[in-house]
Amino acid sequence: MDYTFQFSVVFRELPYLLGGALVTLQIAFITFWCGAFIGVFGAVAKVYGGRISRRVASSYVTLFTNTPALVQIYLLYYALPDAGILLGSMTAVLIGLTLNAGAYLTEILRAGVISVRRSEIDAATALGMSLMQIVVNVMLPHIARTIYAPLSNFFIWLVLGSSMAAIFGVEELTGRAINISTANLRTIETFLVVAVIYVVLTVLASASLALVGRVAFRVRARVF
Amino acid sequence: MKHLEIRGLFSSYGSTRVLRDVSLDADKGEVVSLIGPSGSGKSTLLRVLIGLTPPTAGEVTIAGEKVDYRNRRSVKAVRDRMSIVFQQYNLFQNMTVLRNVTVAPIKIKKRPRAEAEKNAMSLLKRVGMAEKKDAYPDELSGGQQQRVAIARALATNPDILLLDEVTSALDPERVNEVLDTIRALTSEGITMLIASHEMAFVREVSTRIAMMDEGRIVECGSPSRVFDSPTKERTRDFVSKILKH
Ligand SMILES: Nc1ncnc2c1ncn2[C@@H]1O[C@H](COP(=O)(O)OP(=O)(O)OP(=O)(O)O)[C@@H](O)[C@H]1O
Ligand SMILES: [Mg+2]
Repeated sequence: MDYTFQFSVVFRELPYLLGGALVTLQIAFITFWCGAFIGVFGAVAKVYGGRISRRVASSYVTLFTNTPALVQIYLLYYALPDAGILLGSMTAVLIGLTLNAGAYLTEILRAGVISVRRSEIDAATALGMSLMQIVVNVMLPHIARTIYAPLSNFFIWLVLGSSMAAIFGVEELTGRAINISTANLRTIETFLVVAVIYVVLTVLASASLALVGRVAFRVRARVF
Repeated sequence: MKHLEIRGLFSSYGSTRVLRDVSLDADKGEVVSLIGPSGSGKSTLLRVLIGLTPPTAGEVTIAGEKVDYRNRRSVKAVRDRMSIVFQQYNLFQNMTVLRNVTVAPIKIKKRPRAEAEKNAMSLLKRVGMAEKKDAYPDELSGGQQQRVAIARALATNPDILLLDEVTSALDPERVNEVLDTIRALTSEGITMLIASHEMAFVREVSTRIAMMDEGRIVECGSPSRVFDSPTKERTRDFVSKILKH
């Protein structure tokens, strides 16, 4: 193989790529928090809800965890216009990933809620704590500890999964990499650099998440 | 005036009637032990007293004051003076030993932290757990956790202490360290209700024994009366069976 690597053309575009990385993080952040918002309601419905709200939450989770996120976004992007709803590509991606994240986060948060031991709630009640004090001092720390690791993993998944947006023309990290490589024809170099940027992003994200988890929630996570 | 007075107490889980017409009283500083077969309603009685399980009928009077278990204030007043230690370890897993003991005084009784910690340390010393103050519950043995649970129950200065089979989940060699701790408390003027299967211990520390069966108190009297010359067939049966072990 006499391929000579030529990274300089890629390095020249580094600021452009890093800008894309920022968009990637934005997508991950927005979908994570919006998904978490849905997830809280989903988890509460599944654990404490009546028959109907349990059914609705379960159907939602089943539907969205058993179809690829990509298919969900495709349907939003290409099927909704037929119904008169026109979404920009970024909007379709954000909504699709959020709905997908909401389903997964429902399950993660549910595991957290049911991890709270009845006996500790009894003990807190018997000590005279109010419902609010029990939630803050007893339930939330348990939930936080239980969901911390899966939550961190899921955030990483979103960072990587947001690359799907490239298919719809969103210029996040992968999208910009495609733009560059079609112009400079240095596909291998471009995507090697992009891979390294993804690694840096996820390592930084998981390290900082693990650090927060260790300090705040006594989660036994390794930072590196 | 009796310190604790229970009159005609009933309670059910759904359609299962668990307490049926339970009456029992205790003078200040008395140690009354509940014995009886599994499922006879000992835990339920204690849970009703501290407001964890609602009664369906009956009256509870503490130091002359009638408790209304449907009234939040009234229940709060009960919990202010009554503590419970459960069978399984229910320390707060996310808190250190010291924090477990100080959380109620600080959050509920609004004591200054320094004062609460000082008091907690002297309680931990009493149960022999002072050197573990910074440990988390999952780093302790079952017996150690129960001793911390006792310290936590005492931290709110209760004058009534409920102990629900606090040794039954422990390894045999851990039982004594917990019983020793309780024994030391019985001379402090705290009224105690103890549900227990430890017959020798119960006999030694109790002023009175109440034998429960199927949600009723079938017999109540001094330890020697209940253990040596029970008047009821059911008690005789239970006592002879359990003493054989
Ligand atoms: N949460 C519950 N839901 C339904 N039934 C219950 C519940 N808790 C207890 N019971 C029932 O109430 C009855 C009394 O139970 P309780 O725990 O008070 O007995 P106990 O005397 O403490 O028994 P043990 O010696 O095994 O602790 C039992 O028949 C039990 O099955
Ligand atoms: Mg019991």
